[in-house]
Amino acid sequence: MKTKILIIVLLVTAGQYTVAQNPDISGYVRNYTGVVFETGDFSILQNTLNLDLSGSGDKIAFKANPMLYHYNADSLNLQLRELYLDLYFKNFDLRIGKQQVVWGKADGAFITDVVSPLNLTEFLLPDFDEIRRGVNAVKFDYYLGNSTFEVIWLPNFTATETPASGSIWYKQAEFPVAPVFDWSKSEMNPGLENSELFVKYAALTSVIDFEIMGGYTWDDLPSMHVSKQLDMSSGNPVLTGLDITPEHHRLYLGGGSFSTEIKGIVLRGEAAYYNGKYFQTEDPMAIDALVEKDYLHYLVGLDFNIGNVKFSSQFIQEAIMDYDSQMQKEERENTMTFLARYDLLRETLHLELFSYVGLTNEDALIRPKITYDFDDSFSILLGSNIFIGDENGRFGKYGDNSMAYMKLKYSF
Amino acid sequence: MRKLQFTTALFALIFVFGLNTEALAQNYNGKQIIEKVYNRDTGDDQTSDLTMTLTNKNGAQRIRTIKQFKKVLGTVDKSIMFFISPSDVKNTSFMSWAYDSDQTDDQWIYLPALKKTKRISSDSKSDYFMGSDFTYDDLGDRKLEDDTHELLREETLNGVDYYVVESIPVDEDYMYSKTIVWVNTSNFIGLKKEFYDEDEDLLKILSIEDIEKISGIWVIKRSEMKNVQKNHKTSIELNNVQINSGLSESKFSERMMMRGL
Repeated sequence: MKTKILIIVLLVTAGQYTVAQNPDISGYVRNYTGVVFETGDFSILQNTLNLDLSGSGDKIAFKANPMLYHYNADSLNLQLRELYLDLYFKNFDLRIGKQQVVWGKADGAFITDVVSPLNLTEFLLPDFDEIRRGVNAVKFDYYLGNSTFEVIWLPNFTATETPASGSIWYKQAEFPVAPVFDWSKSEMNPGLENSELFVKYAALTSVIDFEIMGGYTWDDLPSMHVSKQLDMSSGNPVLTGLDITPEHHRLYLGGGSFSTEIKGIVLRGEAAYYNGKYFQTEDPMAIDALVEKDYLHYLVGLDFNIGNVKFSSQFIQEAIMDYDSQMQKEERENTMTFLARYDLLRETLHLELFSYVGLTNEDALIRPKITYDFDDSFSILLGSNIFIGDENGRFGKYGDNSMAYMKLKYSF
Repeated sequence: MRKLQFTTALFALIFVFGLNTEALAQNYNGKQIIEKVYNRDTGDDQTSDLTMTLTNKNGAQRIRTIKQFKKVLGTVDKSIMFFISPSDVKNTSFMSWAYDSDQTDDQWIYLPALKKTKRISSDSKSDYFMGSDFTYDDLGDRKLEDDTHELLREETLNGVDYYVVESIPVDEDYMYSKTIVWVNTSNFIGLKKEFYDEDEDLLKILSIEDIEKISGIWVIKRSEMKNVQKNHKTSIELNNVQINSGLSESKFSERMMMRGL
């Protein structure tokens, strides 16, 4: 509470100081309408006001980024995506307040990019600037030439937001009996004991850009502790009930990323090794149907041009160490991403095709879109999200949610 | 994204039609003339506000504004640009390190929506800059040896003598079959340049419309590139130009890309 009060006081003070010099307001208004192919239902009817308020001086700056979402049934959702204060010194900077942090070199994959949790209430469909949640944090950056040493402390934990029941993106696992959820352990009190710490060393050089990072964090997604109730009256155990207690666990991770150019092709890579991650298992001897394993998540990618078309492709693998065959998740899960983009009509018409392809489950999310800029502030986007493949796959399970959508956007 | 892939370039426009106050009374061949145009003093560092106006065949205009900084550090030319408008690219920044040697340029872009600095390929010399009529090469990233240069003739226009030099790309697959430039014989100031497409038809004409001497350095304040085949054009205007103001090397860093103006 004291921390929040301090942040508010600092922001108000900074706002008075900087707004008086050069207040800056920008943002956009957007209408977003989506229709599911299979049912003809509107998957989304959303109007958005995004305000970006900022001010800066030589030694101090602030940013506030409220977003107001209006949904079909006149429901309003106000989110404060960012609200922070920057303090500039000769060789270091401090950023204090609610902020989004982006690490790594991957596009559309979150490997070392784990400081800000995600908003997955619409799966992976939101723009990448909207899919991250802001976190209360103190970020310290020390600069030495083209190198940066960064330390981030998060006093309170923020979890990844998942779809609510009733959402078309909510897919509950199948259980032999109806489970009872106990969410009491999924919330954590803010305090030193529950805080998170991340460190990163990054360098940008003429040969290669790279980052090395480490984190003492919490798993942003809770592990499901399963307790079975058995009836032994018949002599054979009969499952009569399931109590599921979602709970976050501590994670230790280390990793890094790099990016370099070789003969016009940009080569990127990123990897993180997790210690302390819990996975579901069907091993009857496992406590709460969970097993703790180390876990490797990595990516290699290429960006290149053929003619005037920009291409990008990535191979991503998630690998569980010391695998146990009774675990529910696959030992190796491979995914690829593809991006092709072509701009024409003096860069007023943009054609793009992006796709995730699940190699393990043979499923995919294909995202074609066309954007036309009527002028520098007004654009229309027509697109589609097509889910195909194995219904057990990460993408194929949303096969019923394939949709077409339109976004009208006015930027100011 | 594509509109944000640039080179160091806009500064280098000054080089392409660079000025040389050295009056010469001797004969030069085509390569020597172009070399004189390229190799001129542009100062140790430069700062300016750039306004780019794109006009289509119906007369409708789109405007881009940029704050740019450049510094020569030994054999490396470092530049950084901050995009001010239009609003969808506001606070985007672009940094380039260009080398005198054959080493490929290094280029990065910071996208504020993604909060990420990305290394981008410099293999896009023929791409158009922000939807304008200028390619990266048009803006000066081209090297002397990329073309063979021939002095076609000397010509007098409005009482001023010009060398007329034809440059043919060494790379036969290059987007232009040739360019022809008019260079002032007394001070090596470019007046105009014609660009011919692969069919050797005239494609574009670059005209220099205003020059000014700032801190002892000639600077092109306004120029215009017109696509004569599609009848659209782009003008570039520089304002608040500062030369040799003592920019710090630390200005050309990821820290500044992310901080912005």
